Amino acid sequence: MHSLSWTTRVISRALRSGFSTLLETASNATANANSASKQRPHFVSVVCGFPKDFLTSKYKPGKYGEDSWFKTSTTHADVLGVADGVGGWRNYGIDPGEFSSFLMKTCERLVHCVNFNPQRPVNLLAYSYCELLEQKKPILGSSTACVLVLNRENSTVYTANIGDSGFMVVRKGEIIHKSEEQQHYFNTPFQLSLPPPGHGHNVLSDSPDSADTLSFAVKEGDVILVATDGVFDNVPERLLLDVLKECEGVTDPVKLQMTANSLALMARSLSFDSEFMSPFAINARRNNINATGGKPDDITVVLATVAM
Amino acid sequence: MSSVSDDDITRQGAGVTVDFPALGGEIDSELCNTFEESDVMSDSEEGFYYAGYRLDQYALDVADFSSQYGSDYSISYTATNITGKPRKYPEYGDFPETFAMRTYGDWWEKAPSYIPEIQQQNISKIPAKDYIVLCFEEYVIPEEIAVYETFNPGGLIRIWAYTILKTWVCLWEAKKVYAPSPKLVNKARRFSPKLKTLNIPTRTIRLEFNQMGLSYFTEIDAVLLGGRKVNIEGIQGILDCYERQRKCSILRKLQRIHFRPNIKENYHNHLKEFFTNDLNKFVNIVSSNTDLLKNDLSSEKDDKAVGLKDLPFEIMLKIFSYLDLTSLFLVGQVSKYFYDVSTHPLLYSELNLKPYWHLASSELLCTLAKRATILKKLDLSWCGLFNTISPTEFKKFIQQRGDSLICLRLDSCKILNASCIETLGIVCDNLRELSLRNCSTDPPLLNFSCLANLKNLERLDLFQTVIEPELMLTMLENNRKLKHLNLAFCGISVNMDAVAQRIGQYNQGLVTLDMWKSRFLSATGLDALSKCHDLEEVDFGWCLREVSLGDSLKKLLLNCTKLRKLFLATVRGITDHDVENIANLCRNLEQLDLMGVSGISKDRYYDVLVKCRKLQLLDLSFCDNINSEEIAFWARTFQVNIKCSHIPNVPNDMRY
Repeated sequence: MHSLSWTTRVISRALRSGFSTLLETASNATANANSASKQRPHFVSVVCGFPKDFLTSKYKPGKYGEDSWFKTSTTHADVLGVADGVGGWRNYGIDPGEFSSFLMKTCERLVHCVNFNPQRPVNLLAYSYCELLEQKKPILGSSTACVLVLNRENSTVYTANIGDSGFMVVRKGEIIHKSEEQQHYFNTPFQLSLPPPGHGHNVLSDSPDSADTLSFAVKEGDVILVATDGVFDNVPERLLLDVLKECEGVTDPVKLQMTANSLALMARSLSFDSEFMSPFAINARRNNINATGGKPDDITVVLATVAM
Repeated sequence: MSSVSDDDITRQGAGVTVDFPALGGEIDSELCNTFEESDVMSDSEEGFYYAGYRLDQYALDVADFSSQYGSDYSISYTATNITGKPRKYPEYGDFPETFAMRTYGDWWEKAPSYIPEIQQQNISKIPAKDYIVLCFEEYVIPEEIAVYETFNPGGLIRIWAYTILKTWVCLWEAKKVYAPSPKLVNKARRFSPKLKTLNIPTRTIRLEFNQMGLSYFTEIDAVLLGGRKVNIEGIQGILDCYERQRKCSILRKLQRIHFRPNIKENYHNHLKEFFTNDLNKFVNIVSSNTDLLKNDLSSEKDDKAVGLKDLPFEIMLKIFSYLDLTSLFLVGQVSKYFYDVSTHPLLYSELNLKPYWHLASSELLCTLAKRATILKKLDLSWCGLFNTISPTEFKKFIQQRGDSLICLRLDSCKILNASCIETLGIVCDNLRELSLRNCSTDPPLLNFSCLANLKNLERLDLFQTVIEPELMLTMLENNRKLKHLNLAFCGISVNMDAVAQRIGQYNQGLVTLDMWKSRFLSATGLDALSKCHDLEEVDFGWCLREVSLGDSLKKLLLNCTKLRKLFLATVRGITDHDVENIANLCRNLEQLDLMGVSGISKDRYYDVLVKCRKLQLLDLSFCDNINSEEIAFWARTFQVNIKCSHIPNVPNDMRY
């Protein structure tokens, strides 16, 4: 009961804020017309990933196991996003990948809607979540999500993040921005969820409003990694940085793809290494759980560089 | 009787201009000529304004539509999904990425809330139930229009084009209501009928639908308009010229009806010759040939023959009352007597301009205001797109004729502004039926507060029209005799629980209630509604989103034993227990919608089929625990129409 009243409240709030942003975009559009002559940045982006279990997961575009991703662009913005379906729902006969996949697919469609506001990626998440309730087929489950929008007009990236998927921005060999992991407690990230009827009471459910939002200016050559926890839990930050700084300023998608492939493969091999002291294991120890080795999980790497 | 039949065009070709018919398709042929003539002209000056090459374009925007399945703020099943390239075609299935309309088949016409159209004789053989108006980017001479139908194809019945000359031309019309052929079942369709030739540029297309023959919702993915590209700059001069001709010159109008006195130089001599030589001959022939006279209405009265003219006025009136509006205007031009009969106020006590949306204009409304002095029912639905009727004219009409009105339908009417609504509320205080479907957006742009004056309403239809929550409650309190209420798509600002409580308090005589896709209805609201013992039809589709309904549904079913239609689409909180109650308590149930309800066991559905003997429609789409073979078996055994659609199990395509 509680969760439901929450749901309706969130939806109405999301809808109302949606209308106000509609007006915002309209005023932006006029302002932007003047600065059109300026050089506009864009992303060169590639994707790579692995499902946790090759045997059971069928290949579908935009999905690696229970992870989903999308990348798309309009004349005003480039958008990247990843989502990680929460696996616990499998026991209820629910495909956890469906939820995350729907979320990403809807985000992608919303980007191409007239009233898309590149400065409010959190609206993308909120609207996609509302869209779940408009489906004839009940799409149940829960998911973490991270959406990143490059607003071309002002070379600024706007992000929204719920849960333990995330992003990382590297410039001149240093991490200049990084998403904060949002967790209720160890290994239980914040998540958007729609529980099956009757299970509403004991399901963790966070509002799209609780998303961590961030905006920062980017420069030509910056490297941006958007990935699910399958990467961040297995590859130490140091190692990620070493790989990412190699592709600063790379605009050749083939070269970028090679980096993404090696990152994904690195994450995958480390996740099955039982001896390796992964970030996940270190975190576990902090929570007094004695663990070593990686955490086998679906892996999604979306890698982008900023080009003019 | 349709205004767009071939018959009509020949009639107009025969030379009619006055008032009503002149506003219609007659202009077509005339203007094609104008265009062809000027084509030659521009040829010699600046070259073709036909750029010559073929241009295929997908819809850019939706200008107007009558109904959609999805909510305004959503992107599932909404009208805007029809724009752009096909997303799903050639896949077949129930996809949220497409455009779907609210109804299918004849189920809504069998429901207790159905009301027949007024002035039935106006309705064409295949009436349009829904429409959508699409804008494209560039003006073209239309050669092909293709409709990508990805689910239950066949609803399309008419294609109209809005030409650059601001007239509507019907490009194609279905010969009969579509009945799905087995060959086409479960296949997406790219439908591009052969179009009538039109030589006037257009970039606005209107599709009209009639879903009576369809077994489930039709879904449309995209619409393509192909044709020769037109250079607009060259056309502007011709347009201005046309506009001048259309507006002022009486001579021009006379020319158009081919009334062109052929004045020769020596016509005096000709006339003299005729009088001296031919007149006597002519009179002799005419008087001797009485057979000819008998059938000729316009000739002099014959003692032996009884013509239409000799019939008493009342009988003429009766005969004329069967005519549709176009014919009525035409017959008025036969003679002065016919004109007197055809303008009698009794013939205009009920007016339905919905089938004539393409002809309705300020001028027509002005003419009708003079004739319809005892107007009782008025339907101006679908009229007024692209400002063909000015709000001022509408207001004048209502001020003149509104006080006797008991029924007013203004569905998808584009005339309304704030002062129109104000006039309505003040003048039309005798209204018993008010239909304002699809008349405003969310948040409300129109101020409806004057509707609070209405006190005698028995039917109120606010489908897809958002009004202020406070006003809604006031109206419910003021109209105690309310029987039919439609609040589908009521917007997020209206709390349905509050509305339900108000209904339970003041409107216990309610017979039908539609709350489809409205918000915030919960068990509390259902409890309140159970006081309405006369309820025959309730639609709670998509609006009971609460997880647990408790015993509220049972209470409602116990108290409302007359229920014939119960729609509970995507009420996810429904349990086995609730379905059991439906089976046990709803003896009169004819239509039951359980679409998207999950977790119900097969036996419960079976119970419903066994116990609800009058059941005709059962929608089990997107329900689990059952397979299509069983459903087909049940449908045969119980003679019930069971719907069961699914999103097909094919890989989701995300195209990059």
